[in-house]
Amino acid sequence: MKRDIKDSVYQLAMILIGIVMVFPILYALSLSFMRPDSILSSQPKLISKDFYFQNYVKEVTTTLLGRYTVNSFIVAGISSLFRLLIASMAAFAFAFFEFPLKKVLFALTLSTLMIPPDVLVVTNYITVSNMGLLNTYAGMCTVYLVSAMNIFLFRQHFLSFSKDLKEAAHIDGCGNVRFYTRILIPTSKPIMVTVFISSFISVWNQYLWPMVITNRDEMRTVQVGVAMLKFPEGTAYGPLMAGAVIALLPTVLLFILFQKKIVGGMLTGSVKG
Amino acid sequence: MKKKWSIEPYLWLLPAMVLFAVFTFYPFLRTCYMSLHIVNTMGEIKRFVGLENYFYILKDKNFIQSIINTFVYVIISVPIANILGLILALLANKKRKLSRIYEVLFSLPMAMSMSVSAIIFQLMYNPSFGVINYITGLDINWLNDERYAMLAISIISIWMSAGYGFLFMLSAVRNIPEEIIESAELEGAGPLQKCRYIYIPLTSSTMFFLICTSLASSMMMTALVNVLTEGGPFGSTQTIIYYMYNQFAVGGNYTNAFPAAVIGFLLSAAVMGISFLFEKRGVYYQ
Repeated sequence: MKRDIKDSVYQLAMILIGIVMVFPILYALSLSFMRPDSILSSQPKLISKDFYFQNYVKEVTTTLLGRYTVNSFIVAGISSLFRLLIASMAAFAFAFFEFPLKKVLFALTLSTLMIPPDVLVVTNYITVSNMGLLNTYAGMCTVYLVSAMNIFLFRQHFLSFSKDLKEAAHIDGCGNVRFYTRILIPTSKPIMVTVFISSFISVWNQYLWPMVITNRDEMRTVQVGVAMLKFPEGTAYGPLMAGAVIALLPTVLLFILFQKKIVGGMLTGSVKG
Repeated sequence: MKKKWSIEPYLWLLPAMVLFAVFTFYPFLRTCYMSLHIVNTMGEIKRFVGLENYFYILKDKNFIQSIINTFVYVIISVPIANILGLILALLANKKRKLSRIYEVLFSLPMAMSMSVSAIIFQLMYNPSFGVINYITGLDINWLNDERYAMLAISIISIWMSAGYGFLFMLSAVRNIPEEIIESAELEGAGPLQKCRYIYIPLTSSTMFFLICTSLASSMMMTALVNVLTEGGPFGSTQTIIYYMYNQFAVGGNYTNAFPAAVIGFLLSAAVMGISFLFEKRGVYYQ
């Protein structure tokens, strides 16, 4: 009996610590519903009785936040879909075929993980600009279309299939493409969900590249737009926090819902044991 | 008799490889190549100058400052974030009824983006009506005081990375075989001793992985600076990559941006290399 009480107290303490950990998110949430005078008082209130939707209304109607959000959805969604396709195709090759240069190409793929993407921003900007893709969705997506981590993940997953499966399919007259589309992909749904969600979160949260590649306000993503929000009467914190909440909501919700899957994907192959 | 060699695997690999070539390998090599030339604001090469660009920016006090700032940031944020992750993992180790709840809470900062975290913390750091000064009773003008600005930014980064570290360390801690813990407890080991002789050594490989990757990404940090301080006050928060960004996006100065990018990459690689030296000494592999 005593043990149970100790246990429950411990769990409550842990939850309290958890609340402290997510405090900034809760703070933004709380402030986004506050009236301006509650926010600006010199005694900062953490919770107020207001339920002031005006902040959100003002945010969405007077700024391009709605447009920014749509942009982010498009860029993150399209990039994630492409990543699914391209990574699974590459992993298919690595997992099911033998060919000269296989080791070299795989090593090259892994080596891309060592190159910090921000270092490449300058040249990629020149490249994309020369393609005429400045301020376009396509331009924004280009650098996000493939990820070595995703290839690695898919490969780990594919390697768990027996090679005989492919042989058997061949014998039954099933070509490689059909093997891929009819057998491999349908049975890889869990890992596809993991890859899609983690890609979506990752691309949604990107800042430097989308900022560099867009100078027209209506093409900006929500991360860039929210950071640049300025209101004519000065910084309006309520609407600003409302914007922050809108910008963080998709990824936070996705994370809470799919945490187990995302973590499972992250941990495969990167942690021993 | 089937052909031994087929072009097919290469076709499956083609999209990925083309993308890597165009957006990763080519820019990387081009950045290195361009860093040896004077480049005009259109991105065209004017003339070859060898390592002169490097000497030029290394003499720029701003750039040296940015290197120092970056190291300060890395030294503050990387150890603290990962140790915090370890502590949280040790606390959350045992699976209990509600553990899923606080596991999600502890790791939630991972889902946050740099820019949103920045604007929330900016409000919290506000000296007049921000929460942080209110709760701690301090009267620091966090983001506008050159003594504290980098610390303020580091705190945001620690918050964001601790969740990531927690997740990995939790898995590592839970992977330790029960028998080892039990036999230690039978021999009367207390929590501190268990930490020192069991938990820390047996999770050190994961810790090393975390430190290595967080060193690499921290050396390249710029988003927080972009949103919050734009390198100020008095250049105290300018990081290496922020310097690069400033040179090329604001000043149109590609000639300085390229060598800055290369130096940033080399320093990051060097830092990771140094951490590998510690791997031999400190990390215990089963």
